[in-house]
Amino acid sequence: MTVDERRPLTETIFYVLLSLGAPLHGYGIMQRVNGLTAGRVALGAGTLYGVLTNLTERGWIRPLTGAADERKKEYVITDAGRKAVAVELERLEELLRNGRHAVQEGWR
Amino acid sequence: MSGRVVRRFYWDFEKEERWLNEMAAQGWQLVRYSLGTYHFERGEAGRWVYRIELLATAPRSTAGREYLAFLSGTGIEAVSTYLNWAYLRRLAAAGPFELFSDLESRITHYRRVLGLFTVVLAALVAAAGGCIVVAGDSGGLVLVVPLVLVATAGAGMAVQTARLARRVRSLTAQRQVYE
Repeated sequence: MTVDERRPLTETIFYVLLSLGAPLHGYGIMQRVNGLTAGRVALGAGTLYGVLTNLTERGWIRPLTGAADERKKEYVITDAGRKAVAVELERLEELLRNGRHAVQEGWR
Repeated sequence: MSGRVVRRFYWDFEKEERWLNEMAAQGWQLVRYSLGTYHFERGEAGRWVYRIELLATAPRSTAGREYLAFLSGTGIEAVSTYLNWAYLRRLAAAGPFELFSDLESRITHYRRVLGLFTVVLAALVAAAGGCIVVAGDSGGLVLVVPLVLVATAGAGMAVQTARLARRVRSLTAQRQVYE
């Protein structure tokens, strides 16, 4: 595990990774994330494109071959991407644990 | 279909965006832009929401074409491109239309515009310097007009550069707290 992989993921990155258990194209990802968050997270197309490029370069997702048309290009999560989500979950659980503890104990 | 041509010049692409959306709300839909010239067509009022983006690459390059195709897959139409500027629109029925949904990507876009303005501003300063040198040598007033033009453009550019720099600073400060 490199130091880099221990850094917090952004909400956008986290939800894009979560949405790619099965292959989806850009518009599908936007809809999926919107659904997962009950409309709270509306990904901008410009933001999403940058994220897809970045995650592909990192090897956390990969484009499915065969779609020459960018409109129909689908992406899917890789093993490295799944691992990144697992690491992030541990961190989030720690946040929740400590946060709940502080609130329930009345900030003592 | 009736059309309308409006000549205008904006330093501030967000003001320009607001104006295009006011026009669209009245049923004047932008269909083409080239240096200060906006071509509108009459259509259903409020049908489209417009956004302007400074692309990272030329719209006709491979990367530029790929990006615009990606946008088109999400329901965003590239109405017109001018240099690296893209005039985009999406159906208002699809909901609020923002190209960038997090601080990171908004900062990246502002920085790109800021970079362009800085280059243009530097070119204008160089041009103004050139005018002064030539005017001084010839002792003539021939260059007063171009000098005034360059100075005016430079001032507009400087104001915009400062505005964008403030915007980037404020968003960067926000990012220290929020994502």
